[in-house]
Amino acid sequence: MRRILALLSLLLGIAGTALAAPHTVQTEQATLSLVAEHPAYTPGRPLQVGLSFDLIPHWHVYWRNPGDSGEAPRVTWTLPAGWHAGPLQWPVPQRIAVGPFVNYGYERHTLLRSELLPPADFRSAATLKADVSWLVCREECIPQQARLELSLAAATGATTADPRFAAARTAAALPLPGNAVYRLGDTGMRLALSGTDWKPAPDTQIWFAADQWGPVAPSLPQRWTLRDERLELDLPFGDAPPAAGETLSGLLVVSEAGADGTLTRGFELQAQPASGPLAESRVGLAAALLLAFAGGLLLNLMPCVLPVLSIKVLGLVGQRGGHAGRHGVAYAAGVVATFLALAALLAALRAGGAMLGWGFQLQEPLIVVALLYLMLGLAMNLSGVFEMGGGLSGLGQSLTERRGVRGSFATGALAVVVASPCTAPFMGTALGFALTRPTAETLLVFAALAAGFALPMLLLSLFPAWLQRLPAPGPWMERLRRLLAFPLYATAAWLLWVLSQQVAAEALAATLAGAVLLAFGLWWFGQAWQRPLLRRLPVLALLAGSVVCAGYAADLHRRGAEAAPTTATSETWQPQRVAQLRAEGRAVLVNFTAAWCITCKVNERVALRASAVRDAMAANDIAYLTADWTRRDAEITKTLQAYGRSGVPLYLLYPPDGGEPQVLPQLLTAGIVLDAFANLNHPE
Amino acid sequence: MSIKHLLATLLLTLTTSALALPQVGQPAPDFSAVDSAGKRHQLSDYRGRSVVLEWTNHDCPYVRKHYGAGNMQAQQRDATASDVVWLSIISSAPGKQGHVSGTEADRLTRERTASPSAVLLDESGEVGRLYGAKTTPHMFVIDGDGVLRYMGGIDSIASADAADIARAEPYVRTALAQLQVGQPVQPAVTRPYGCSVKY
Repeated sequence: MRRILALLSLLLGIAGTALAAPHTVQTEQATLSLVAEHPAYTPGRPLQVGLSFDLIPHWHVYWRNPGDSGEAPRVTWTLPAGWHAGPLQWPVPQRIAVGPFVNYGYERHTLLRSELLPPADFRSAATLKADVSWLVCREECIPQQARLELSLAAATGATTADPRFAAARTAAALPLPGNAVYRLGDTGMRLALSGTDWKPAPDTQIWFAADQWGPVAPSLPQRWTLRDERLELDLPFGDAPPAAGETLSGLLVVSEAGADGTLTRGFELQAQPASGPLAESRVGLAAALLLAFAGGLLLNLMPCVLPVLSIKVLGLVGQRGGHAGRHGVAYAAGVVATFLALAALLAALRAGGAMLGWGFQLQEPLIVVALLYLMLGLAMNLSGVFEMGGGLSGLGQSLTERRGVRGSFATGALAVVVASPCTAPFMGTALGFALTRPTAETLLVFAALAAGFALPMLLLSLFPAWLQRLPAPGPWMERLRRLLAFPLYATAAWLLWVLSQQVAAEALAATLAGAVLLAFGLWWFGQAWQRPLLRRLPVLALLAGSVVCAGYAADLHRRGAEAAPTTATSETWQPQRVAQLRAEGRAVLVNFTAAWCITCKVNERVALRASAVRDAMAANDIAYLTADWTRRDAEITKTLQAYGRSGVPLYLLYPPDGGEPQVLPQLLTAGIVLDAFANLNHPE
Repeated sequence: MSIKHLLATLLLTLTTSALALPQVGQPAPDFSAVDSAGKRHQLSDYRGRSVVLEWTNHDCPYVRKHYGAGNMQAQQRDATASDVVWLSIISSAPGKQGHVSGTEADRLTRERTASPSAVLLDESGEVGRLYGAKTTPHMFVIDGDGVLRYMGGIDSIASADAADIARAEPYVRTALAQLQVGQPVQPAVTRPYGCSVKY
């Protein structure tokens, strides 16, 4: 019944054209209005008009390519003589799943804009007529149509703008800030972007919708990867794959977790076919596993690992024919478990949004210091300064004891830890690639690496006969052990150099003081003291002292980072700096951003770095500070939270008079920023 | 979450390889389904004759466009008169729009004076998914050797307006005519338009 009423109202809408058509039509599912940004037009100047759809829940209308089914709205304009209408401008659509299908379209509300151009000599009142036909669907579909009419007078003065238009322009798709090419594969194509400088967080949703039916299947999943700083997206073919040489045009949609809720941006792109097949890019899981395995084998020869393993081998020599196999398995288990634990930790941190790659452990000075001390301790052990017994790592001799199996497991774990400074520069890129895959695949790659790493030792322990070629146990083993200390000293020296890149001279001095304390403590420990107290207490005190030194070093590092030099265009944000600038009576714009935040990058490109905005900053003497949250700085987090945000972007514009800062929207245009600047001088 | 992702990808790879969608120039996937009278039809039984598959849903406005104007019935009559097998297939799931019993299907055929060779009831959606049928109508033309020769829309103008039928290029008619004289079918793949199939 209601449907009949709706139909009737439609028919009336059409029949009533002889009189005057309404500017709004309502059906059971949709309210459609023909609206103009301004209530009057200026001759010779473009004017934005739009079809505003309001839909009841669960129903949708379609984008220019409706997807698996459906139909895009169509409009036929009837305009006064000499007027010209531009094409419909489509807002960024949603993917709407309908059963097994995916449609591209809009729910709730959308505004399809079009630009009209009145002739310069047109002065009288203008009547715009739009015949609109559209399909509105939930699961079932209803085609609807209406004739709408809107009268506009010629403008005599300033008019107020309908804010929906500015909002639609802000949210509109942008041209892709970079280049796109695609390569054809067997079942799909790979779209590769260059020049976008995007480093999306792992949970970012990125999808592509072709402008037309055919080249891309809307309902099949697309997957993105970051390869050599380039974003790549795998697009399964639709029913009509692109012919050779055809340009692929469409819309790339990026949705990421924003400061409050999801932020979505669309990018119009035209991808040219790239020459060459899709061969190199298919570094599938199998190849990645093989590479990781080989890398693991090679890792055994690294200067930080070789000494530790050699000692382990010597241990095997010492107990030929014993339970070597069991130790080998325990060792391998220790290696695999530790690698997987590290990979899982890293995956969890990344899932939490941290932009970390393999080698993340060396970005934190405290960990570098800890590794440095570990290397120093191991080296001193090999030098014979002190003996560990079979306890901590089973480094030396006591492998025949029962607890030695546990010791072998610990050796495996230790080997991974000592290997980590070597893996970082050596395999950072390869493992970084693995980290862009789903967690399960990442873990598999790390498991392959661990297998390669553990294999030589495992083989030696399973086939002790291979050790027969080595000379019989004797004094040569002790000499070799002393010799092998030096690669570890070298590794410690290298770690010190790494640290020197990160911290100030004071922190380096503190670290070295700690190293001396540690060395003294270990020497003390190595002395054959008779009384337990004499033996333990000072060691603990000295070890604690070196930990304090390391902590002090890290603290110095932090303060050093805050005093980092600033660039000319954008200063690094700190609360004190904001206070200082405001005390000078200057307006301050703070950009809270992160390397992995695409929305931030786009805002910087289209708005904050736009020449008009930069000129306005200079003209209004506005200080521009950047707060980089790429590494989750605690101070920045606090400020974000103070403004109710859980993440970036956040834009704060402090007025020069000391008032409360204005929070700018999360999607910026140059116009929005310029308006905000203008309001600084003429507060409302 | 990512493990779920991996599983989904795996599952998808498995299902898509198991259900490699039909391609023009390749043998059309064989199927069997029961018609409105309870009779079973097997595609391979029609070797030697051309077969048209028409996905339909009588309540879909795009289907009503072609039946209301008599266009679909005319094509069915002309095709079956030249010994083409015309199978209308209803893949709507029970409770969904367009789902009908055999009796209702027969009544619809009578009322609309349609003349398909048979109306197949595919309420499980098995045949529909096998062919990747997306819309109503969605058309497939299979030649006497069982090779898929055309898939896509009923014609070239994607609208629900019956007035467009006369101006549109009738892709299925064209495909059948080209098949009859042994010409390659051109165009062979077009955009199917209409409502989604209600699986």
